[in-house]
Amino acid sequence: MTTQQALPGLQFLDPAALARIGNLELVARTVVEGFLGGLHRSPHLGTSVDFAEHRQYMPGDDIRRIDWRLYGRVDRYYIKEYEADTNTNFNILLDVSKSMSFGSSTVTKLDYARTLAACLAYFANQQRDRVGLVTFDEDVREIVPPSAKHLPNVLHALARAKPERGGDIERVFRKLSEQFRRRSMLLVVSDFYEDPRKILDAFAQLRGRGNDMMAFHVLDPAELEFPYDGATSFEDIETGERIPVIPEYLRDQYRAMIRAHVAEIERLCGDQGVDYALYDTSMPLDFALFNFLSRRQYLTRVR
Amino acid sequence: MAFLAPLFFAGLVALAVPILVHLTHKERKDVVMFPSLMFLTKIPYQAVRRQRIRNWLLFAMRCLALILLAFAFARPFLTRPAAAAPVRGVGARELVILLDRSYSMSYSDRWSRAVNEVRSAITGIGGNDRASLVVFDGTATAATEPTADKAILNTAVDAVKPGAGVTRYEPAFKLAQRILAESRLPRREVLVVSDFQRVGWDGRDSPSLPAGTTINKIDLSEPKTSNIAVTGVDFRRDYAEDRERVAITARLVNRSADPRPRHTVTLELNGRAVETKQVDLAPNAAATVDFAAAPLPGGVTRGVVRSADDALPRDNAFFFAISRGQALSVLVIDHREGGAARSLYVERALGIGDQPNFRVATKRLGSVTASDFAGRSLVLVNDSDLPGGELGRRLLDYVHNGGGLLIAMGDRSAPRERPAYATELLPTTADAPIDRTADRGGTLGYIDRSHPIFELFSAPRSGDFSTPRFFRYRNVTPAPGDEQLARFDDGHIALLERKVGRGRVLVFTSSFDGIWNDLPLQPVFLPVAHQLAKYAAAYADERPWSMVGQVANLPAIFRDSTGPADAANQAEYVAVAPSGERTRLAGTTRRSVELTEQGFYEMQRAGSRGEPRVVAVNVDLAESDLASVEPQLLTGAMVARAGTDSTVAGAEASTPVEQERRQGFWWYLLAAVLLLLVGETMLSNQLSRRIAVPR
Repeated sequence: MTTQQALPGLQFLDPAALARIGNLELVARTVVEGFLGGLHRSPHLGTSVDFAEHRQYMPGDDIRRIDWRLYGRVDRYYIKEYEADTNTNFNILLDVSKSMSFGSSTVTKLDYARTLAACLAYFANQQRDRVGLVTFDEDVREIVPPSAKHLPNVLHALARAKPERGGDIERVFRKLSEQFRRRSMLLVVSDFYEDPRKILDAFAQLRGRGNDMMAFHVLDPAELEFPYDGATSFEDIETGERIPVIPEYLRDQYRAMIRAHVAEIERLCGDQGVDYALYDTSMPLDFALFNFLSRRQYLTRVR
Repeated sequence: MAFLAPLFFAGLVALAVPILVHLTHKERKDVVMFPSLMFLTKIPYQAVRRQRIRNWLLFAMRCLALILLAFAFARPFLTRPAAAAPVRGVGARELVILLDRSYSMSYSDRWSRAVNEVRSAITGIGGNDRASLVVFDGTATAATEPTADKAILNTAVDAVKPGAGVTRYEPAFKLAQRILAESRLPRREVLVVSDFQRVGWDGRDSPSLPAGTTINKIDLSEPKTSNIAVTGVDFRRDYAEDRERVAITARLVNRSADPRPRHTVTLELNGRAVETKQVDLAPNAAATVDFAAAPLPGGVTRGVVRSADDALPRDNAFFFAISRGQALSVLVIDHREGGAARSLYVERALGIGDQPNFRVATKRLGSVTASDFAGRSLVLVNDSDLPGGELGRRLLDYVHNGGGLLIAMGDRSAPRERPAYATELLPTTADAPIDRTADRGGTLGYIDRSHPIFELFSAPRSGDFSTPRFFRYRNVTPAPGDEQLARFDDGHIALLERKVGRGRVLVFTSSFDGIWNDLPLQPVFLPVAHQLAKYAAAYADERPWSMVGQVANLPAIFRDSTGPADAANQAEYVAVAPSGERTRLAGTTRRSVELTEQGFYEMQRAGSRGEPRVVAVNVDLAESDLASVEPQLLTGAMVARAGTDSTVAGAEASTPVEQERRQGFWWYLLAAVLLLLVGETMLSNQLSRRIAVPR
């Protein structure tokens, strides 16, 4: 605990949330790849003790990996594949655009998101995974390369993140696709105010590199429920555009549209194998993590 | 409920303010920062949505507050009738019920409503109260003495029917004033049941009711009325040989805002419909209907012009009684030597005109006999001596019995040789003629324009008496009692009047032959000749009709110009009203009958079998104008005259406290407005707080 408090940015790690997640460690070890090193499975096949499958020999393969006993039975060359049992890179891609500064209560979306990111980074580090961080808005703002020793750096970067500009996730991800040469687990935390297809196109650029992706969609309750009343002007935090609005008349339509937006992102993520979770900033953080990990476990079983 | 200041209802225009406020949705000054407008901008933003009223409760509270505020400033007061609103106070009550029975009360169902209201008031009389019923139109009559017996009062109400009179409020209030002044009961009330016609009150001469009197009123007028009235008829007579025909023109007025196309009008003569015509009546306009000329039979012809029925039937008929034109028979006596048509001008002048129609006979003095005076209305001695002997005395008797004598002096009138009786007819002396030819003739210097002869010329530009030139005239000395009607510019008498018996003698000191003057050549000669003849003959225009409320003087109606002087005054008469009611007039005290009914009155000497005299009576058409006065003004005037604590009800009370209670309703309205505004403030604040405003 003393170590935790010494680390900068640990104020984001809600002790209650950590305690509750701590009780879930057994679950988390079996669910989250890279979070709990040694207990989770690597998405990459490699040299390990756990046999995975046989593959027909291809010229260039190491002949030491040929299963000679099988050759003796079937008279064909097969290579034995093993599941890699290695630590992985865990990169958090945090949206720090100005829209993330919105919050209808004392907690803004960015506060919530970086707390969530800090929690996950902490647990990943506990599992000896290499932890990295990328903050972005319309461009990449800060990069902390993944490393087992970079948790303090990640937490520092999280603490420093300030919403100052608008967002352009497609442009950023195209740029980042060149960054992650080693396959990694990528966690994108954003409010995803973008066309869902553009978002998934951006994801596809990273997934094409073999990265495993998760998307945390963080929204404020006011964005979901639109509880406003009285004729007033609404100003876009990022663009400064204003429009007069009578919320009573727009509420139902807005709610339907935001629900459709979320559903579309979730559907497209599901189609592309991206784990998606919606986080309401009024939701307790531990509950959010628990919910996510439980869901991750379920998806793994299905897979 | 009525209002003291209804103009304040104009403040209801302010209702537009909350409506506009609620429709326009004034935006808040603070701006909501929102992460993205990508969804909001996609939602179609229709203006019509902005125009829907939301927060209906708040809107209703604001509107209600404004409405109540306008009501409060309009100063409402309760106008419950006396029966429905028992007057608070202490002690018994003296109630005077003023029931309007003018003929406008027969409009539509006004009378039945009036009777119901009066019965309701009678029902509300307490055991110690007293009430009296006063019916009024032009005059006021107490139908009952003050009594507590409701049966007597109800019987009196049953007996009353709307009459033919016009509305006048002053007599009714004066009678109420007298009844209340004589009462010793502690509370005094007046209940006015009327249609409050404007014609009935001129804003002056309001009687003052005793102090503490409460005036209740029941207004039976309708906001919109419609009435068509026949307002009069004109006659055009023409004479063909011995027959006389009359063409009648009726005037109608439409007192409503709606046009009346093809309105039916019928002319009845002697009870028979002679002609029916249709006329288009514009809104609030008059029209005339010309009927074809019809021959007039002998005797009196009773005529009625009837308009088609409407809600007020009284003024739909106009009655008249006409007879053949009364021709004035004139005997012109020329000098015995005749001459070159000395009477030409005067004969021609009297031969023109039909009102009246003059029948002129000219004779020389030598050919005149006593029988020539019989039936004459006028004898004109034109530049001639007066007859002497027996004929002269007959002429004197003729004048004494009411005959007219007009004497025109000329160069042959020879005043110095007049017979003895002539001193009764002629001026004291008549000297030689005065010659004014040297100064180109004299003019008339003085004319008594107040005299009936010259009254016609009293209006400006009606008769130029400055142009006739008089070259010669006689200088006469009037006897005591002679009246000088005109003088020349040198002061000499031009026209002299003397009353002889029942007759009149006019002496013109110049001639009508155009020699001593040029008067016959002037335009003014014709009317002057007619006026002289009509006055001397005591001619009175026929009155085809009278009005309800006028009085018929029977001796005057039956007076025969040639009859004995006292016969008419001492006779006994019978008058039969249109309703059949007979009135016998005997003795010398009562010689007239008041015309109270519409239709034909028949007057006859008692015992006579001759044709009765007919008097047509019409209602006063001022009453057909149904415009009403604000009852509060009328009753308020009575209170104002009282100058003390008399009060006007509907919302009136007998004490200042009670008065304030009836009129103090606005305080409650203001309190309600205050409560509503407080509630509105709280509600609007609550609604404002419900808005989540993110930082």
